[in-house]
Amino acid sequence: MGSELVEPAPQLSYTEQFYNCFPFYLSIGMTYDQYWNDDCLLVKYYREAFDIRKKRENESLWLQGAYIYDALCAVSPVLHAFAKTGTKPLPYLDRPYPLTKKESEDIEAAKRKADRQRARAMFEAWANSLNLPKKDGER
Amino acid sequence: MAKQITFEFEGKNYTLEFTRKSIETMERQGFVIGDIVDKPMLTLPALFAGAFLAHHRFMKRNEIDAIYEKMTNKEELLQKLAEMYNEPLEALMEEPEENEGNVEWGANW
Repeated sequence: MGSELVEPAPQLSYTEQFYNCFPFYLSIGMTYDQYWNDDCLLVKYYREAFDIRKKRENESLWLQGAYIYDALCAVSPVLHAFAKTGTKPLPYLDRPYPLTKKESEDIEAAKRKADRQRARAMFEAWANSLNLPKKDGER
Repeated sequence: MAKQITFEFEGKNYTLEFTRKSIETMERQGFVIGDIVDKPMLTLPALFAGAFLAHHRFMKRNEIDAIYEKMTNKEELLQKLAEMYNEPLEALMEEPEENEGNVEWGANW
């Protein structure tokens, strides 16, 4: 009883532990020279960069899933067996999702501008259809 | 930046540092950090000499030993060297992520 306290497990030498971790750091982009000869703290920054890269990839995959979901929703009206003849799929998104606040604001501004122009065109068409008497000097 | 010890000796600047390669070289030559308790008189000069491998690889051992003899405040120097020696290994160990299960600890010195 308690012999595990008397006979400690064999310890790995520092070199063995360095070699155990070496493949991982090679896989995340460190060179042989950086790992063995450069500043020993470089590994921390490589790990942090690796975490950032993983997070970015995860977000990218999530975004791809969202686009696929939107595409499926758009075609869903024609996908079911009892769809009426002539049923058409909904249009797919006309532009990618905005990724920044500025991009989102630009899209909103462009949309408002297009709405205003459409309203103006409709109003002008309506005004022309009334055949109102023209003021002097106007043709 | 990794821990370093710098000093000037006879008009020349020296930088002591441990890289993984220098620790590997030392261990290949028989250095065992655990011996620091059992055989301090042998281990400590070897630890000091190993710290030259990173930046002054081709210095002769007798030149390093001469510098070691002249070094002041050896107790603190060796403590710093031991910290430096552990740094390349410690850097490979990740801190656990923040959560409620982590154990906080303190020391009384």
